[in-house]
Amino acid sequence: MGRYDFSPQRVHAHATQLLAHKRLAIPPPWYSIIAFVPPSERLTRPPLQRSQRPGGKKASRLFKPLRLRYEEDRLRWEYFNDHPWELAKPRVVLEDDGRDAEKWDWSIPLDHALNRPKSGATSEEGVQLDLEWDSIQAGQAGRPINGEAVIQRTHHLLSTGLPSSLASSTALAEFARHRHYTETLLRVAREEAISTGAFFGPGPLEIGMQLEDRQYDGWKKWAEKEIVALKQLQGSAYTGQEAEGGGQDVVALEGGTVGGEEGVASEELQVVGGSVPGSRAGQEARGGVAVHA
Amino acid sequence: MILRSLLLRHGRLALPKPPTPIRSWRRYLASEVEQTYTNPHEDQQFIAGGIDGTKSQAIHSLTTPTTTAASSDNQVKHDWEFFHHQKATTGKLGSAIAPHYKPHELLSNPPRPQDITLELLLASQAHIGHSTSLWNPANAKYIFGVRGQHDPIHIISLDVAAAHLRRACKIVHGVTERGGLVLFVGSREGQAHCVVKAAKMAQGCHLFTKWIPGTITNGQQILGKCRKRVVNHLDEEVPGFEDQLLQKAAVKPDLVVCLNMLENYVLLHECALNNIPTIGLLDTDCNPTWVTYPIPANDDSLRCVQVIAGVLGRAGEEGQAVRRARARRGRMPARQNHELEAPREGEADVRPLEREMALLLAAEAFEEEGVEVKEDEDGEGEEGEHVDSSLLGAEGLDVEEGEGAIPYERDAPIEGGANSGRVEFSPVVEQRGEIRDEGEWATEGERRPGQGRTERP
Repeated sequence: MGRYDFSPQRVHAHATQLLAHKRLAIPPPWYSIIAFVPPSERLTRPPLQRSQRPGGKKASRLFKPLRLRYEEDRLRWEYFNDHPWELAKPRVVLEDDGRDAEKWDWSIPLDHALNRPKSGATSEEGVQLDLEWDSIQAGQAGRPINGEAVIQRTHHLLSTGLPSSLASSTALAEFARHRHYTETLLRVAREEAISTGAFFGPGPLEIGMQLEDRQYDGWKKWAEKEIVALKQLQGSAYTGQEAEGGGQDVVALEGGTVGGEEGVASEELQVVGGSVPGSRAGQEARGGVAVHA
Repeated sequence: MILRSLLLRHGRLALPKPPTPIRSWRRYLASEVEQTYTNPHEDQQFIAGGIDGTKSQAIHSLTTPTTTAASSDNQVKHDWEFFHHQKATTGKLGSAIAPHYKPHELLSNPPRPQDITLELLLASQAHIGHSTSLWNPANAKYIFGVRGQHDPIHIISLDVAAAHLRRACKIVHGVTERGGLVLFVGSREGQAHCVVKAAKMAQGCHLFTKWIPGTITNGQQILGKCRKRVVNHLDEEVPGFEDQLLQKAAVKPDLVVCLNMLENYVLLHECALNNIPTIGLLDTDCNPTWVTYPIPANDDSLRCVQVIAGVLGRAGEEGQAVRRARARRGRMPARQNHELEAPREGEADVRPLEREMALLLAAEAFEEEGVEVKEDEDGEGEEGEHVDSSLLGAEGLDVEEGEGAIPYERDAPIEGGANSGRVEFSPVVEQRGEIRDEGEWATEGERRPGQGRTERP
């Protein structure tokens, strides 16, 4: 083929030719191992293994990779549409050994950490409930309780046969209870820390205000320059034949309407107002184009 | 609380300061400065633990009544044993941390080819490909599917990746087993450590900066000054080849492992030109025909790159171990295309500098006496040695027999060039008779008739 260079795949054949024609005296060290373990095929299409949609729109899509779809995707779509700010919560996707998902048992409620039975409580069969809770928590305390946990819990409840509305509402209620508890915990801990002498840096609202102030200051400087440029343009476009006194009146008018806001702009106005075309003094050259920042 | 020294406020000096190993070493050096050193804290009273005094040392100095300079070694030994005893007894205290991912272990203890599992590749993010709009359709059979609604990405099949990775491990193992040189290349940020580690394990070469175009095709120029050495089957350096190695270009690798294919397309092209097999980390946007053995995986994840480099390095390590074991048993490896000749007995001792001096003296002697040039034995040997077989054209570089032994290469004179009318000043040029005294600037007309110049073709 024209655009492709297959010589990396033909390394062994090339070496065989060189040996046959005595260009190489001895085979290179990789010769026998590459003969034993040859390179794989290139530029071949994957076979059609999974059922593509029958009556598909385009034949060119037959060999394209499929979109992977799972049942949880629908649950995710519904949940995160209803709670979009859950997407803003940071989520750790780092895995230890690749089998992290197998560790978590979603048959256990999401607010399990808040439901420790009383010490010494026993069930009807005589099982020590508090010890059972301890053993479950030992394995499941590390479960991340976030939006993804809600979806996994809902999926598990659906697999047990619950109707979808009940499953989702159960999972949401458990999650809400857990989130309420942890938020209260954090708030109380912060208050306790402040009462005992801790101090925190600016919060997100304070930092947002600082950023906005900085942006506003930058905009203000830009706006001042723009006003000066605009006035220059207007001054250069003026072609009326007036005495300097008339020009001054015009300036005074304009100064009255605009100058109240910007002191700098009114100063600039007076300077420009002096150099009016058609007047006796004539116009001062101030460059060809209006000044832009 | 770390006790380095206890300051005694009311008490006499309990013990003299036990000499630390460093200080006792200093005392063995006859140095006047050390003996005149006065301790500024002499007036204060310490139970001292030395420079890096441990609690045990301080306690020891409290309990034992006397210490002498001779027992300083015992002190060190005692401290060492106490440290390990403490570690053994108290190290396990605290929470029991379950086994988890430690990033440094990928460099300190990389996984072996036997440890390749789909779970390992998944945890290393090897399945994450690029955006679907950036793909190379030739990689379609390595892709499992598409994930994502708004900006979808390709997911690389982990079973395919594992299979290709195992195949690449076999190649690295086989090449190193037969004494081949593997070059590991990874020029992205953060890949230097894993590239060097893999090269060390496979006893090959590494590169973590930009590949200079022409390093293989123009190796004589770019790598002309790099150090070369000849080793025997037991990896011991063999002397006697220095003069041959001076004229040899750098050794070309027998296998190249490239961890970022898109940036190193020049390297891969040069390897293809020189018939060198390559292994490459193939992302969904790379061209699979560029390498001999692709490994479809994610080249943007450093963890994935470290896993793959570590696994290939381990494969090289195993191959080297097999080769060394075989060599120790006496089974020599296959011969190689190095085009080196065994050094002669007498010449092995003479250094190239001394040889050149001897040759120059001989040339001067010849100039004075006007002796005919004899064919030197070295001349014949040099013809075969200093020429690289790949550089031989149709005629090759012919050295006239009359020229005799010249330890350096000389350019052929250009016809009609600046030197065409000039007599070449050379001590070993004329076949018969002397050289006239005009030197370089004599023109052809001034030369005596009958005197021929040896001409190079």
